[in-house]
Amino acid sequence: MQSVHSELPSRQTAATSSSMTNKIDHSQLCQWLKAVAVDRDKQAFTGVFKFFAPKIQRIAQSKLNNEALAAEVLQDTMSNVWRKAHLFDESKGAATTWVYTIMRNVTFDLLRKIKANKEDNLSDDIWPLAESLNTEDESFTDHIQSRNLLGVIETLPENQQQVVKGFYFMEMSQEQLAVHLNLPLGTIKSRLRLALGKLKLKLGEHHD
Amino acid sequence: MIKHHPKFSLLQSFVDGELPASLAAGIAIHAEMCPLCQQKITQLTEQVAEASFEDNFTESFVSELIDSVVTTTATELDFDDIIGQITASDDVEPTKPVSVERSVSFKGTEYVLPNALRNMALGKTAQIGKLSRARILLDEGEIHTNLLHIGAGGSIPEHTHKGFELTLLLAGTFADEQGEYVQGDFIMLDKRHQHQPATEQGCLCYTVANDALHFTQGINKLLNPIGAFIY
Ligand SMILES: [Zn+2]
Repeated sequence: MQSVHSELPSRQTAATSSSMTNKIDHSQLCQWLKAVAVDRDKQAFTGVFKFFAPKIQRIAQSKLNNEALAAEVLQDTMSNVWRKAHLFDESKGAATTWVYTIMRNVTFDLLRKIKANKEDNLSDDIWPLAESLNTEDESFTDHIQSRNLLGVIETLPENQQQVVKGFYFMEMSQEQLAVHLNLPLGTIKSRLRLALGKLKLKLGEHHD
Repeated sequence: MIKHHPKFSLLQSFVDGELPASLAAGIAIHAEMCPLCQQKITQLTEQVAEASFEDNFTESFVSELIDSVVTTTATELDFDDIIGQITASDDVEPTKPVSVERSVSFKGTEYVLPNALRNMALGKTAQIGKLSRARILLDEGEIHTNLLHIGAGGSIPEHTHKGFELTLLLAGTFADEQGEYVQGDFIMLDKRHQHQPATEQGCLCYTVANDALHFTQGINKLLNPIGAFIY
């Protein structure tokens, strides 16, 4: 079982890559990504962006040999980072690996669109980004049910509390919640996702 | 036990995103069944990522890219503008639903497709004797990708290849002159090889080839159209 939020695995990951340079401040990148995931922190996103963007631009330029396409890779990659930051799990690998995967996948789909004229976006099936997500959520569910976390949940914004309580304590499906709260399903999903991100962070602080 | 793995250079191209979708999917399917290769891929990805985002890396490319760097400066992207656009969106990637399995049926047997194939378009199944194949519609020019089912007791006539041929065993077993193959075996042949796979219990393969087979023996030469059928 994966622990919900442990610092240890990331250190182990870093240790296995001891041959690598220390120039990249991995823990800073992780912090920024977490702040993006949990608080939609634009300042943190700017940090991530300024670190990666010039490099992505150059790599894409050398690979595609086309300025407009390179700009598209940059834009798509960083939009994905913004949209998927909550899927980043530092115990599964470094932030650089995660962003690299997104960039490689975006580039692959774009090239395929140009060469084969196919917009089938196969890259995420071939190189899955969030493979571990489901099992991780399950263990998180166990975790949340095994403790009295009401106190922590009450610190969430009201609209996220509704969704979390409905989902975990009343065992309503996301679809049922959407009907019950008269909200689009997408909103329920993103509220739940945001709330989970925050809970994980808060639980992580107390979790050994 | 899996005995046949993609060679290292192929794993590298996979990690770099430089293979056609057909071969990349082949590696992904193998890695899903082969912890050994999965681990190599994970390590390679980590290294390539680190190297890509290191300052040294980009600097070493500067001289090479001097021209494009100059043009880049000329139309320098407004990073703040892009950041503003991106962060203006409230869109959050939803939690993926538990992955929906996709299965195909050959001769009455259901097979669950590997994740890498789950969104690929499949053509209609065509049959000759014990062979059934469904084209995977990837539109990669001379590279043809198929699901090939060989019924129990069936075989493919002896043949060679003009190009390369990947056979990845998804289910069941088959054997040729080299021995027995099991689920997950990644068999890459080129024109130097000849083989004649046969299966006792039946099997399902994922195949990628960039040219029709060439049949080598007597009466089988008459069967050459099968080459175009299979690959
Ligand atoms: Zn292997």
